[in-house]
Amino acid sequence: MKRRTFIAGSLGLLASTALIGPALAEGKRITWWYESADPKQQGYIKSGIIEPFNTANPDFNLTIDYRGTELDKQMRVALLSGNGPDIVYTAGPTYVAPMARAGQLLALDDYVTRFGWTDRILPVFIEMGKYDGKLYALPKTYETLGLFYNKTLFEKHGWKAPTTIAEIETLADAMLAEKIVPFASGNANWRPANEHYVSIVLNSIAGPENVYKALKGELPWTAEPFVKAIDTLNSWWQKGYFGPNYFSLSDEQAFAQMATGQAGMMPTGTWQFQRVNTYFPPNNAEVGFVGFPSAEGINGPVYPLGVGSTFSVAATSKNADGAAAAIDYIFSEKTYGVMNSAWPGEWNTPLADLSKVQVDNGLPLYGETMKTLAEAVGDNQYGYTTWTFLPPATDSYLVSGIEEVWLGRSTTAQFLEQLNATFLQEKADGKVPAIPAR
Amino acid sequence: MYRLYLVPTLLINVVIIFIPAVLTIALAFFRWDGITTPVFIGLQNFQALWSDRVFWTALTNNLIWTGIFLTIPIFMGLLAATLLLIARRGSMFFQVIYFLPMIIATAILARVWQGMIYSPVSGVNGMLQRMGFPTIDPLSQPSTALLGIATVDLWHWWGFLCVIFFAALRQVPQEQIEFARLEGVSFWKILRYVLIPAIWPTITLMMIMTVIWSFLVFDFVYILTQGGPAFSSEVLSTLAYRSAFYDLAVGKAAAVAVVISLFGLVATAFYIRAQAKEFHQ
Repeated sequence: MKRRTFIAGSLGLLASTALIGPALAEGKRITWWYESADPKQQGYIKSGIIEPFNTANPDFNLTIDYRGTELDKQMRVALLSGNGPDIVYTAGPTYVAPMARAGQLLALDDYVTRFGWTDRILPVFIEMGKYDGKLYALPKTYETLGLFYNKTLFEKHGWKAPTTIAEIETLADAMLAEKIVPFASGNANWRPANEHYVSIVLNSIAGPENVYKALKGELPWTAEPFVKAIDTLNSWWQKGYFGPNYFSLSDEQAFAQMATGQAGMMPTGTWQFQRVNTYFPPNNAEVGFVGFPSAEGINGPVYPLGVGSTFSVAATSKNADGAAAAIDYIFSEKTYGVMNSAWPGEWNTPLADLSKVQVDNGLPLYGETMKTLAEAVGDNQYGYTTWTFLPPATDSYLVSGIEEVWLGRSTTAQFLEQLNATFLQEKADGKVPAIPAR
Repeated sequence: MYRLYLVPTLLINVVIIFIPAVLTIALAFFRWDGITTPVFIGLQNFQALWSDRVFWTALTNNLIWTGIFLTIPIFMGLLAATLLLIARRGSMFFQVIYFLPMIIATAILARVWQGMIYSPVSGVNGMLQRMGFPTIDPLSQPSTALLGIATVDLWHWWGFLCVIFFAALRQVPQEQIEFARLEGVSFWKILRYVLIPAIWPTITLMMIMTVIWSFLVFDFVYILTQGGPAFSSEVLSTLAYRSAFYDLAVGKAAAVAVVISLFGLVATAFYIRAQAKEFHQ
């Protein structure tokens, strides 16, 4: 028995030495919590970011932990208790200001000069991540809203991609007559999908200049341009442009309907590019994408700017240099090319110059769209998505409030009045995110 | 010395229940975004709730929910349990079948109903629509959304009640039932005068627990509609969740939680009273 114990103990000691040895040889650990990603996507992150970063930086050991869709709640609780990862992945610019105010984030200004981020990253995004004059966050990916359409279906019916609001309405009416759903859409899996349409009309009908003034508090949300925008959106709903199953479909099901020709167009975000190869080729159809048409007097198409998540470094991080180096690696041209080739729509980091980036994802349309968006942002000709620029309670009300307008439970005036009141309250509380000057 | 045995459970209760409860009550009097320092604002969160129409919609929905769950599943459970008592053959099989939904995770159940029953694309509903029946997805209409969710929870819940009632009914002395049968008493009269009075304490307990659970309902509502469309299926717990994690208004969420607890507290008082009465008997 004693001999057995000795042998078992020796083997255990050997095994633990074998395990601890390489761990000690590895660099200083950098922790990064990420949202949900399927096994394939986790593979892209591993081979596109984690492994090449660790190979290029033997002093560091970047690790990733997939925390699921409730990441932002877990992150807030962890940071409150002084824990959490080195790389703080927030749910958007809205959360950056309160976190910075609470002293949970590290000012990144030293790294801006060390890594030359001012030259490599579009200046608008540097401005968006600032609080009290200091930089606290960089956006992981930026996106825009536009109009996807089934090109094959359009050719069959002799339709052309619309360029004005009048044209899109004529086209949608023609689709209704053919029993085709004009706007492939659904919010069953993600209720905030409602705000995609609100963002579209605020920018394309009320205009980005008016939205900018409202965000700065210079124009109330009850002003006439916004009334016109919401009235138009409501008229589209009442005419049935969004189809009979909006509250029952997920966005993926809606996208599939467009690919099969059951629906003609899909006003949505560039993140939907990741579904093109799954649904269009099997249906022998070709996808089209244009900026959403604008109303008369609005210089368009307007590309509303959206940022879904941001990167920061935790104030309590014991490896802030490593975390900043990892963020810098994600913002490299190499990572942009690799990640956008494998996983288009999700890793559109705001690099200023995409001319040298090699992206090969079989979606030249995606590359063109992102270049157009980068140019629009570079020229300060962009619009505003509600989830990026509105404070949290205003945005949350907007999501449910627009449903009340659609379903006849409130009027446009009542909706905008409550939106304005909630916004003013949050503006007074300092919750409106940084709005870069136009 | 024997009082020392209470220490472990007391400690767990203090750490897991008492301290968070006190903190939640205290937070209801603060404005807090969950990130920065809380600011004391007195009763402002409660005043804001009073004038918030969504709060009243949520409260009404909780009351409707309680009404539904105090009647339909209890009636169904009692009826099925009594039938199981009379027709003993196969009762184990039916108990297992009725109880099965209880052991499936609510998130999975909700997704199954959403995708395989209600969906107009992939569900039975869609199949019926394609066959020409004018069916709708109840989750998509403000007038039916809450009922649509309640149906899923009822399907999941009533079997549990049935098994509980059946277990209680089996404790009823067989002689009483046999005697009533020999006297030619009808099934309904046996139920009314023998069985229900015999298991009344169990029914009372389940009704009180139903009230408490009805004010805590969250999972099915959140997964199936997230309180929509247009707040039509909002309940107090989804309102609290949205306030805390989407609006970053943790103080307001705490105020909603206090209201939920008040209803639970009333039901608990009734429960303790009923228990005390039973104990004295």
